[in-house]
Amino acid sequence: MQHAVELEELGTRITEASRFIEKAEAQLSRRVIGQHDVIRRIFIAMLVNGHILLEGVPGLAKTLIIRTFAAAMNLKFQRIQFTPDMLPADLIGTMIYNPKDLEFYPRKGPVFANVILADEINRSPAKVQSALLEAMQERQVTIGTQTFPLEEPFLVLATQNPIEHEGTYVLPEAQVDRFMMKVLVDYPSYDEELEIMLQSATNAAAAPIIPVVQPDDIARARALIDLIYVDPRVQRYIVDLVVASRKPAQYGIASLETMIEFGASPRASIFLLLASKAHAFLQHRAYITPEDVKAIAYDTLRHRIRPGYEAEADNIKPDDIIRQILQHVQVP
Amino acid sequence: MNGRCEGYSSGSLKWLLLWLLAALPIMTCSLFSSRALGAVSGVTVAVTPDTVLVGDRIHCTIGVRHSANDVVSLEGIDSLSVQPFELINRRQSSAVVSPGTRQERCDFELAVFTIGRQPVPRFTVVLRNNQGKLLTREPYRPSSAVFVRALTDSTMRELRPIKPPVKPMISLLLLLPVVLGVFGIAGVVLLVLFLIKRTVRTSAEKVDPGQVAQRKLRKLGSRLSAGMPPPECYEELSNIMRTFLEKHYRIRALEAVTQEIERDLKKLGVAGFESIMNLLAQADLVKFADSRPDAEESLQSLRKAEEVIRSARIPHSPDE
Repeated sequence: MQHAVELEELGTRITEASRFIEKAEAQLSRRVIGQHDVIRRIFIAMLVNGHILLEGVPGLAKTLIIRTFAAAMNLKFQRIQFTPDMLPADLIGTMIYNPKDLEFYPRKGPVFANVILADEINRSPAKVQSALLEAMQERQVTIGTQTFPLEEPFLVLATQNPIEHEGTYVLPEAQVDRFMMKVLVDYPSYDEELEIMLQSATNAAAAPIIPVVQPDDIARARALIDLIYVDPRVQRYIVDLVVASRKPAQYGIASLETMIEFGASPRASIFLLLASKAHAFLQHRAYITPEDVKAIAYDTLRHRIRPGYEAEADNIKPDDIIRQILQHVQVP
Repeated sequence: MNGRCEGYSSGSLKWLLLWLLAALPIMTCSLFSSRALGAVSGVTVAVTPDTVLVGDRIHCTIGVRHSANDVVSLEGIDSLSVQPFELINRRQSSAVVSPGTRQERCDFELAVFTIGRQPVPRFTVVLRNNQGKLLTREPYRPSSAVFVRALTDSTMRELRPIKPPVKPMISLLLLLPVVLGVFGIAGVVLLVLFLIKRTVRTSAEKVDPGQVAQRKLRKLGSRLSAGMPPPECYEELSNIMRTFLEKHYRIRALEAVTQEIERDLKKLGVAGFESIMNLLAQADLVKFADSRPDAEESLQSLRKAEEVIRSARIPHSPDE
């Protein structure tokens, strides 16, 4: 019973600590209409130090969401447009020679910010992609002989256009795996589209965004997320979902055996747990339920499951595979 | 007269003597030259068989009779390729046939590759003395020939006659009843299996999930009274409720989270919705939030669950 009391108390603290998210969401809703799921995923990634790969056709307010998010969260924002002629130095920075004192000085690149929008990441060559992904992983950058830690929080949101593949460099599986989530940005609903049209088709300046987050808010939220209780049943459920993507026959989904070329990596289990914790935090809960796991399962697993030839021939997407896994793995 | 006759006789005799005297050196010379140069007394050529298919082999035997002092060899036929023949093998043997005479026998194995009538190739008999000095070279053109036929469908059949199709030991007509019998038995077996399955399913459907759930809840209550830990009781309670909801309302409840069950039950407009959701939420707290209810609380939850199930089993009249 004592533990339950502790969790209840933690729940109260979580509710208080998560208020800044509600305020930030209110600010976001002044500029961004709809896309609530995408906004929630961005908050989840920020709370557990993850990064997001956004995929959606152009014009779905991806840049607007991120820019507004950074402004509301009072974070330094940088947008980097990835191009084929880009070099790693354009991203991380380089050593500049100063003729006055005859010495080289490091000049930091745009990666030194809190929120990075890596626009069309698949347009740049592999070495630039790998420089960014390395910075994401290590959270530090080396220029010349000096190593600089990246600012906290450090959140990378990379975008990809799913319909244009001409002149792109497809992200290797190993690098895609470093993104905590792959979020699909969908078209707005009819009503949302109507509202977007009316709000945007004006010469009036957009509503200003007021920074509503204090520097400590994020750190405090992260500390509370670490305390969120995860029952062994839920832990096993997470592992079951990931293992089912590798050995579906063991979970009574033999039909998926030929549909999956390779399943999710152990990173999937780690990120699924972290994202579930952040999801529970956003729900003001001090413990994870299978609902939290299911809620972020698609975003966490879709880029980690590679469909086989048979699935491609039958036009079966990773989301269809995840749906089947979620329907067959018994909930604790 | 006698004198004239004597004169005529003596004249004829004189002419005969003169002719003999003139012929003698020539005959002697001829005899001697014949002895000195040597001679071939007979050449025989035999070919077997006389008709072959293209690519087949023939055996050609050439016999040469000659003086025992001389050596015979054949030229022309012993080369490897004598159009249209190809020499495959040759063998030569010699035997004495009479005092002072020998018979030379040459056996040739030839392959033939051109169709039509093919005469045995020409050859030359070469006679040499013991010292190897050439005595004579006599060319021969044998009259023997071989007829070579082309490989056609008919000739191929002659080579390897086509086997007639193997007739089945038992005619198909006799097998037909057996096949029909097998199919009939299989059909009957399938029909029996189908009927058994349907009966089992019908009987399973007849079992009221509410009744099963209530029986399980009663058992769980007695186990709780016997000292079962309350968290385990809630876990089982959650399973019983989910199984009941899945079977009674035909929704996916075992693989669904509470939120999904809530959504489905809301759609169905289930009676006692609030109580069901409270029970599931309470069970979730025990399962996932490490909540530790006491035995009394657990018993109350069991009673509430029984009540929910009982009310769900009562069919509501359309007026309600």
